[in-house]
This record gives sequence, structure tokens and C-alpha cells, in this order.
Amino acid sequence: MLAALVAAVSPSAQAQPQRLLIITTSPDLKSLVEAVGGDDVEVESIGQPEQDPHSIEIKPGQLVRVKQAAMLVKVGLDHEPWLARLPAVSATIVDASKAVPLLQTETPRLRTERKAHTHAYGNTHYWLDPKNAWPITASILAALTDLSPAHRATFEARREAFLSHLEARLTAWQTMLAPYRGARIVVIHDSWSYFADRFGLKIVAAAEPNPGVPPSPGELAALLGRLRDSDVRLLVADPHSDPSLVRQIAEKGGVKPVTLLPSGRDYVALFDENVRRLLQALKSGQ
Amino acid sequence: MTELLLWPFVAGLVLTGIHVYFGLHVLARKVVFVDLSLAQLAALGLAVAILAGHPVQSEAAYWYAFAFAIAGAVLVALVRPYEGALQQEAVIGIVYAVSAALGVLVLDRAPQGADHIKQLLVGTILTVTPQEVAQLAALYAAIGALHLLLRRPIILASFHPQDMPHRLLLLWDALFYASFALVVTSSVRVAGVLLVFCYLIVPAALAGLLASGFVARLLLGWVLGAALTAAGLIASWVFDLPTGPAVVTAFGAAMALAALLFAARRLTWRRSALLASSAAAVAGVLLLVFPQMDQPWLDALETAVPPLHTAFLNASERATRDETLQSIARAREELTRLRALEQDVRWNKVEMDAEKAERLRQYLAGKSELSAGDALVLRHLHSKARERQRFLLGLPLVAIGVCGLWALLRRRPLSG
Repeated sequence: MLAALVAAVSPSAQAQPQRLLIITTSPDLKSLVEAVGGDDVEVESIGQPEQDPHSIEIKPGQLVRVKQAAMLVKVGLDHEPWLARLPAVSATIVDASKAVPLLQTETPRLRTERKAHTHAYGNTHYWLDPKNAWPITASILAALTDLSPAHRATFEARREAFLSHLEARLTAWQTMLAPYRGARIVVIHDSWSYFADRFGLKIVAAAEPNPGVPPSPGELAALLGRLRDSDVRLLVADPHSDPSLVRQIAEKGGVKPVTLLPSGRDYVALFDENVRRLLQALKSGQ
Repeated sequence: MTELLLWPFVAGLVLTGIHVYFGLHVLARKVVFVDLSLAQLAALGLAVAILAGHPVQSEAAYWYAFAFAIAGAVLVALVRPYEGALQQEAVIGIVYAVSAALGVLVLDRAPQGADHIKQLLVGTILTVTPQEVAQLAALYAAIGALHLLLRRPIILASFHPQDMPHRLLLLWDALFYASFALVVTSSVRVAGVLLVFCYLIVPAALAGLLASGFVARLLLGWVLGAALTAAGLIASWVFDLPTGPAVVTAFGAAMALAALLFAARRLTWRRSALLASSAAAVAGVLLLVFPQMDQPWLDALETAVPPLHTAFLNASERATRDETLQSIARAREELTRLRALEQDVRWNKVEMDAEKAERLRQYLAGKSELSAGDALVLRHLHSKARERQRFLLGLPLVAIGVCGLWALLRRRPLSG
């Protein structure tokens, strides 16, 4: 950290400005760090959008980069269990979840009769609510200003610009989805609570009682029975959902399946794409 | 139940039909793990197909998988004549490990397919479609007909390879493993690696224990395969279990039962008495030395015969226990009712304003933690009883065990 700090502010570095190396665990966080850091930072993400964030196998090259990094930004909670096995790093560690109001935090260890989502500290997919970009970028801003106080004003200005752009887009997304406010949906995996809350959708059930474990015939039958005499018309799947499960629920439950992306390289484009897909499915599902 | 389980059952019958046949061959050839090895190669083929830009569900991906499995099949056939220098099982194991590792390396370059390949290995027999079953049935009927036509040389190559000239043997082995690769690649897509392995080995192995002759074993294997499929599916429905693993467990339970029956046939009175005495001595010593460790045998007995537990509590403790049990039952009833109400609200069957609905959700979340307190009371009483059972049950058990062993071993040494 010290080396990076010296490099960032020393006079010799000013001639050819040395950029802070920042590692994030997910591409979404990379996009948000870039939104604040701009040209003053060089950001690399360990995870790719297509990867399962829970089970990343870190490679030697990435390990070297983590050791060189001035800052490591993680989703936090227990989203990245593999992170705990990394050797001690000198970088400032930023837990992006720190200031985020979490959902489903009561999903706890004692609740045995009810099948709990495996996350013990609340639902971890908080970046899927655009409004959470505010607290996330605030944590990033604070850490960046600590590392490079000279750039404080630029960081703040960039964050402001990004957030006002995001605010405008958010209003647009909400306007587009406004006709479907209150629509009830079913999800395959319990990762869309934040997204649904922001855009006024109501998740009534998740098909996978526990992520990765296929539903039993009884659970599937109960879900299909509920679906048939309900007004639910939309099934939200993730890219890694079991296609045959999605197909079966869609066909027998009479719902329109749509695959939304839980992660993307460009934070704003991720929502553009998801809102587009959602609108298309909602329109054709009516 | 029939609506959801009919097609998985038919799929199970189709799988039984072809896999019991191949299973008998595979057992005779002593290459039990060839199935896992070829399946892993097929998964590697899928990974390569994804890297080449084909979706995991596409026709192209299927042919990639088949091509890789065929290559492995030919390799296994080629090795057989050199059995003396290099065991076929060694090659099969190496192919398995290396293709699994290569799969990881390939998926590192194309991470979008990793989950689908994982699902493929676990299998999704619950959501199999009639079309998939029909395709499998047609393919396996064709392969079965081919093997029926060529039954003489194929059976000779599996059961009496020494009676066959080397060059011919290679040819028939290649044909056998190639058709097997096609079957494995196709079955794994529907049922997953574990289930396919069970269909291949378990009915054939059981039939081998119970019958002799190829045709008799095949027929018995088919009956067993069908019955175990039905048992697994019903268990999955009744006990609310994921379907694939439930069927695999049904196969495993059948195998364990057969093993127990075989062992029981060799059991004399003296041997049973020795076993019982040793078990009593070990259980007694564990109860004496570690009264607070988990004693599953005692827990099970107490559940079946509650007085075994309550006899070690005094009157007021017994009253506390009864009250706690009642309170848990009441809470559970109330929770079931409220949970049903919450579900109805979620599904828009019952109208409730948003604030009230959220209060209900939070109440439910907190309520389940409250009954955890009752569970703690029961645990406390349980451990109190254990302290008393320690000597009152543990000492007699040790005494029975030691006396039994002493009496049995004093008369004559354990020889028969």
C-alpha cells in the first residue's frame, strides 16, 4: 500500500502518472471503480460475468496482481468464499456491502425448519439495485481518497457525474417498467430480490429451494400447481440455470421464461440489457 | 405424482434396457470404471465444443462429446492385448483423471459453460421430456438390434477372449466400446453420470449374485432395474428429495441389502453372539467415557421408546419436558398456518396491505427463532438424562458385553 501511495504521489511519477492498480472480485465492481477512478486507476476483475462468483479458482497471474494491487474491492458478506484462502495481501480491502441496506438479513443459522438460502448474512446480490451504486461508490471514493488524497476533487467530480447519469437512466428504466408495476414473478434462483424491489416486481417463489440443488418432485408439483391458478406470467432465470428445469416450469406452469444477467462488464449497460429483456418478455407475456 | 414422474420412469426403463446389457459385459471384462471415464471424456468434448462457440444444448456439442468418447473407446480397446504389461483399468483411470483436469483447463477459457457441464454430470432426470425419451429409445433399440445380430462374436469377446484371434478381438472390442461410448454420451445427457453408472453396474451385479447364465441375468437385471427405478422415484416423491440422487440411493440400498443377506447366511449363533457382545461393550464404554458425545443408537432407541429417556428424569423435569413439547407442537401448528397465509398473500390469493404483509413476513422469520429456545430446553433435559444414563445404562452394557465375550471365548478359540 505504501509503495503504491509513494508511487502515486511522488514527483517522479507525476511526469508519467502511475495509475493505482485496483483488483475487484466482480466485473460490476470493476465498472463502478472505473466510474470513480477514471484514468487515475487501472482496474482488473478476478471474476468474469459468465463465471459462478461463488467458486472461482484463482490463477497464479491473478495472485501476483492481487499482491501488487493498492486496493482490493469485494462484494463481501459470504459471496466470495474463495477469497478467504488467499494469502495475506497488503492492499486496502474495501467491502462494497459496508454501507448497503441489505435484504433478507434474517435468513439465519437457527432457522432449521425453513430451507434457508445458503447466504448467512443476507442476500448478497445487492448491486442489482442501481440505487445501491450510491453507497458502493461512496465506499470506493473513501478508499481511493485515502490512497491518493491529491485526486480527491477529481474522484468526487467523476462520481457525481456518473451518479447523475445513472439517476437519469434509472428514471428512464422505471418509466419503461411503470406499466408493469406490481407484476408477480417467479425466479429460479433467489438472486433478484434487490432488482425486483427497485422496479416494483413481486417475487412470489424461487424454484430452486437451495441454489444448485434441483427441486424435488413434490416441490416442483406444488410450484406448478400454484402457478396454474395464479396471475404470474413471468419466470426469471439466470444464465447458469438448468435449461430443462426452466423449460419444464415454463411449459407446464404457463409462464414466459426470461434470462436476466446478474453480472456485466458495464454497470449501466447491464441494466439497459436487463430492462430490455424484461420489457420484451412482459409485453409478449400479456 | 404421475404427471411429473411418468416420463422419468419411462426414461429409467429405457436406461435399464440397454445399461443392464452393457453392465453384464463390463463386469465380465472387469472394466467397471470405463463408463465414468468415457462420460468424463464426453464432458471434455462438450467443454471443447463450448470453446469452439457451440451452445451446450446444440447438436454440434453432442457430436463433439461423442467424438471424444469414441476416441477414448478406441484407446481402451487398443490397450487390451497388452493386458500383461499395462492394465486396462490403469488406462481407464488415467483417462478419467486427465480428461477431468483438461475439462477444467478448457472451461477456464470458456467459463460460460461450467455450470451447464456441472448440471450434466448431476443430471436432470426429473425434467426429462417425452421427445428425449423417444430419441433414446429409438437409438438404444437400434444398438440393441445390432448387438443381437452380432451376439456370438461380441459375447465371445467379452466372456472368452482367449478363444479369439488377436486381430479379430481388436475389431470386436472396438465395435463394443464404440457402441458403448454412444450409449454413455446419450444417457449422461439425460440422467447424469452417477445415475448412469448405477444403471450400468448395480442391476447387473445383483443379477450376477442371484442368477447364472447371460439371458437369466439379463432378464433379472431388467426386473431389478425397473423395480429400483420405481422405488427411487416414489421415495423422491414421498420424502421430498431431489430425484436423481434418490434413485441412485435406492440402487445403493438394494446393493447393501443384498450384501447384508449374504453376510447373514454365513452367520452362526456363536458369531452373532460375539458381534452383539462386542457391540454392547463398545457402546457401553463410549457411554461411560463420553456421555455427552452423539450416541445415535441411543437417540434412535429413545425416539422409538420414549420411557427410556423419561425414566431418567425426575417428576418436575418430566413436566417441563411435556410442556415444552406441547409448546413446540403449538408453535409448529401456528407457523404452518401463518406460513400458508403468507404464501397465499404472496401468490395474491388473499388480499393484505403491504405493511401488514411485511409484518407477517418478519414475524415468521422471528418466530422460528423463538421455538429454537424450546429446542434448547429439550437439549438441556436430554444432556441431564445422559449424565444419569452414563452409569445406569453404561455400566450394565459394559458388563453384559465383557461377560458375553468372556463366556464365548473361554470355551474355545474363535475358529468356527
